[in-house]
Amino acid sequence: MIRRLLERRRYMREHRWTHGHLSDYLDDDLSPEERERVEDHVSICPHCRRVLRTLRRTLESLMGLSAEPRPSVADGVIERLRGER
Amino acid sequence: MSAPVGTCDERELVERSQAGDRLAFEELVRRHADRLYAVVLRFVADAGEAEEITQEAFLRAWRSIDRFELRSRFFTWLYRIGINEAKRRAERRPSPGTVGSIEDSPIEEAPDWSDAPEFRAEQGQLRGVLEDAVRALPLEYRAPLILRDVEGLSTQEAAEVMELGEAAFKSRLHRARLAVRRAVDHYYLEAER
Repeated sequence: MIRRLLERRRYMREHRWTHGHLSDYLDDDLSPEERERVEDHVSICPHCRRVLRTLRRTLESLMGLSAEPRPSVADGVIERLRGER
Repeated sequence: MSAPVGTCDERELVERSQAGDRLAFEELVRRHADRLYAVVLRFVADAGEAEEITQEAFLRAWRSIDRFELRSRFFTWLYRIGINEAKRRAERRPSPGTVGSIEDSPIEEAPDWSDAPEFRAEQGQLRGVLEDAVRALPLEYRAPLILRDVEGLSTQEAAEVMELGEAAFKSRLHRARLAVRRAVDHYYLEAER
């Protein structure tokens, strides 16, 4: 009983820690030990696994948002700068 | 005789601008105006206002270029000026995206859409979901996400623009990412119903 309680507490601690470090994991901003910690938990937690996978897809898609064609605004800026003289 | 401005690196252009060389500063404008405009556009209501803020940011940068310290990159300083002005204006127009809390916890019953073949940002509807989710973020969360994930600045550069320590910046970025991810959860959950 006590062992199960302790295991549950440990699981929840790892769950919270992992959830808070998923971005760092995807940004490759963790030490090898910390990466392993994330991977260990994700391997047994379907919830964190789903969040990690979908977060990765979200980031890939956010990068795509910058691909819109943009008008050149430099000419307007330069015109105003020259008007400052 | 000075080298043509088109062949100068950013540091040289800044130094020449600080010495009063307007052509050098105009070259900085050509190199950074479109990107600054794209960032600013995500904070304000329309293209005209974004262009106005972009112009204003460069004018301020020109007037105070002698105070710029070459320890940091020119564009991080420029972005800070532009974003602060955009935030000032956005805060004058309260909207759901300018104040309030952030909802970032996953929706438990949502499906795992990571392998969904239609999940491509260029696809109209999902692109719209992402755009709306980003725009709904409070400004203090929207800026880190735009700078880091949409515009591709490094964490260090983006934190510098925001004048935040790296830990505080990363915390906001993570919450913003989770909130946008959650919006896609919501989209797929609705699609299933």
